[in-house]
Amino acid sequence: MSGLSVVLHSAAKIRLNAEFTCAPGELVALVGPSGSGKTSILRAVAGLWNLPGLQGHVRVHGRDWFASAHQVNLPPQARRAGLVFQHYALFPHMTAAANVALAADPQWRTQDITDLLDRMGLAGLGARKPTQLSGGQQQRVALARALVRVMPGAGARTDSGGVLLLDEPFSAVEPPPRLAMYRELAALRQQVAAPMLLVTHDLAEARRLADRVVILDAGETLQTGVPAHVFASPRNARVAELVGIQNHFQGQFHKSEPGWARLTWRSPAGGEVSFRVIDKNRIDEGKAVTWVLNGEFVEVQSASDHDPVHGVAGADNLLNCQIQEILSLGETSVCSMAPEALPSERITLQLPGQMVRRGQWQPGSRVRLSIAPQALHIMPLK
Amino acid sequence: MMDWHAAQVSLTLAVLTAGLLLPVGLWLARWLATTHWAGRPLVEALLLLPLLLPPTVIGFYFLLLLGQGSTLGAWLAQHDVRLVFSMQGLLLVSWVVNVPFMVQPIQRAFAAVPTALREAAWVSGLGPWATFWRVELPLAWPGLVAGVALTMAHTLGEFGVVLMVGGNIPGETRTLSVAIYDRVQSFDLQGAHVMALALVAVSVLALTLVLAFDRQSQSQRKAQEPSL
Repeated sequence: MSGLSVVLHSAAKIRLNAEFTCAPGELVALVGPSGSGKTSILRAVAGLWNLPGLQGHVRVHGRDWFASAHQVNLPPQARRAGLVFQHYALFPHMTAAANVALAADPQWRTQDITDLLDRMGLAGLGARKPTQLSGGQQQRVALARALVRVMPGAGARTDSGGVLLLDEPFSAVEPPPRLAMYRELAALRQQVAAPMLLVTHDLAEARRLADRVVILDAGETLQTGVPAHVFASPRNARVAELVGIQNHFQGQFHKSEPGWARLTWRSPAGGEVSFRVIDKNRIDEGKAVTWVLNGEFVEVQSASDHDPVHGVAGADNLLNCQIQEILSLGETSVCSMAPEALPSERITLQLPGQMVRRGQWQPGSRVRLSIAPQALHIMPLK
Repeated sequence: MMDWHAAQVSLTLAVLTAGLLLPVGLWLARWLATTHWAGRPLVEALLLLPLLLPPTVIGFYFLLLLGQGSTLGAWLAQHDVRLVFSMQGLLLVSWVVNVPFMVQPIQRAFAAVPTALREAAWVSGLGPWATFWRVELPLAWPGLVAGVALTMAHTLGEFGVVLMVGGNIPGETRTLSVAIYDRVQSFDLQGAHVMALALVAVSVLALTLVLAFDRQSQSQRKAQEPSL
C-alpha cells in the first residue's frame, strides 16, 4: 500500500485507540483538544514517542517503521519523517542554509539548498542565523528542513517513502501573516507527493487546509472524513461538541410510518416540540439522541399572529420563534432566537443582513422557521 | 617575594586537574543532564559532597585510604607508587574535590539545550554521536569553559586538602596557598601580600569569564524560545 497507514493501540497508562491512513500528496489534519493525543501520534510516526506496550503499526509505502507484531521499531534517523516542530526547533548556532543542509541527503549540493531557499521566499537569507529571521521566515526554514528530509535529491519529487509532519506549525504566528502562510502551504502542496499530517487544535485551520480530518479525543479517533462532511454530520455528540457545532440539542427518537420518525425536543424547563424526521434506520425506537440543526436548510420569515406555534407543512417542520438578539456582521447577521414552545432554548442562525432589514426584525420580533427534514441531523448520545 | 616554585606547582596542578577532569566531567555531566534514571539524585548528591565536607575531612580519609598503613597504600608502595606527600597524590585528591566544580556548569549547560533540538537532529537523520558533536556541544560549550575556569581557580586556592595530603615540600607539593600560609607564619607579610593578590586576581578573572559566558549562553537560549 502506498501512503501512510497508522494503527496505534495502547491500554496502558496512556490510552490510545487511533487508526487512520494518509495517501501520497494528501493532507490529513489530526484535530482534537489538548490531551487528545494528536501530538503523541505525530511523534509516534516520527519515532520520537516510545510508549511501552504500544500495539499496532506505522507503515509508510508498504514499509514498517513500527510494527509491534514483528518487533519492528525504527529509530527516528532511519525513518524519513520531515517534522516541523511547534516552535520550529531551528539550531540557533547554525545559519538557515546549514539548518536545511543538515537534514539533506549527500546528493544535495550547496547550490540546491540555496535554490530551495529562494523558492521558499528566503532568497538572500541563507547566511542568517535563526535569531536574525522573523517568525514567518523561521517557519519557512523549518519547513525547508523538513522538506529536504522527504526529498532524496533537489530535482526529485517527494516520494522517497517519507512523510511530512506538521506539529501546530501556525500556532506561534499572528493571524494576519497566518493567512499568507496558509496560501503558501496550499501552493507547496502541489510539489509534495509525500503524505502530510497536520496537527492542530484549530478547527477552522483544519477545515481550510486538510483534505480529510481525523477527530481525536482522549487518544481515540472518533471520526474521519472530508471536513465538510465531518462538520455537517458529526457521528456523535462528542464529535459535534469537539467541532464546535451550534444548535446542538438533546431529544428522543420515535419511529412512526415507514421511512419517517418523530424527534421530540423537550426542554428541562418544560415544553416540548416534535419534528417529523427521516428514519435512516440507524437509531432504535425510543432512544435518547442528540441532534443538530443545520441552518443551511432552514427558511426564515416573519410570523403572523394566527400561525400555530409549531406544526408541519408538507415535508417541512414549522417552528415559531422570538428573536432574542441580533449581531450584525455586515453582510450577515447572527440571530439568536427562542422557540415559543420552548422559551428556555436558543437557536442561532446566520441570516443575510438584507433579509433581517427587510423583515425589520429586532429583538422581540416573531419569526417562523421552516425546517427541512435534512436540516435535522440526529446522532446517538455517545 | 613571589615563590615562583610554588606558583609553578600551583599552575601545573591546576592545568593537570582541569585537563584530566574535563573528559570525565563532560561525560558525567552529559549523562546527568539527559538521564531519566531514578538513582540520579543520589549520584548528584555524591558528586556535590566535596563542596560540603571540610577539605581536612577529605584529606584525612585520603590519608587513611592511601597511607602506608592501609592495605591499598601498602600494595601501592610495593609497586613503587607513593601517593601521600607527592604530586601524583595531590593531583588525585585535587581531581576528586574538583568534580562538582567541573560537572555542575557543564550539566547545567547540557540541560539547557532544549529537548526539541535533540529531536530535530534525530529526525533530520543525525545519530546520537553526530547530535552531540554538531548540536549539543556547540550549544553547551560555554558550560565547558565555565567548568574549566572554576576548576582551575578552585585548584589554585585549595589549601586544606593540599596541606593534609601533599604536605609542604618546596618545589614538589608546596602550592601558592600553602606558601602564603608559610609566609604569614614567618611574619613575611609583604611576600604573603604579593601572592595573595595574585590569587585574588586570578579568581576574579575566572569568575568574570564564567559569568560572561553564562550570560552569552543565556541570551542564546532566549533566542531559541519564540516570542509568544
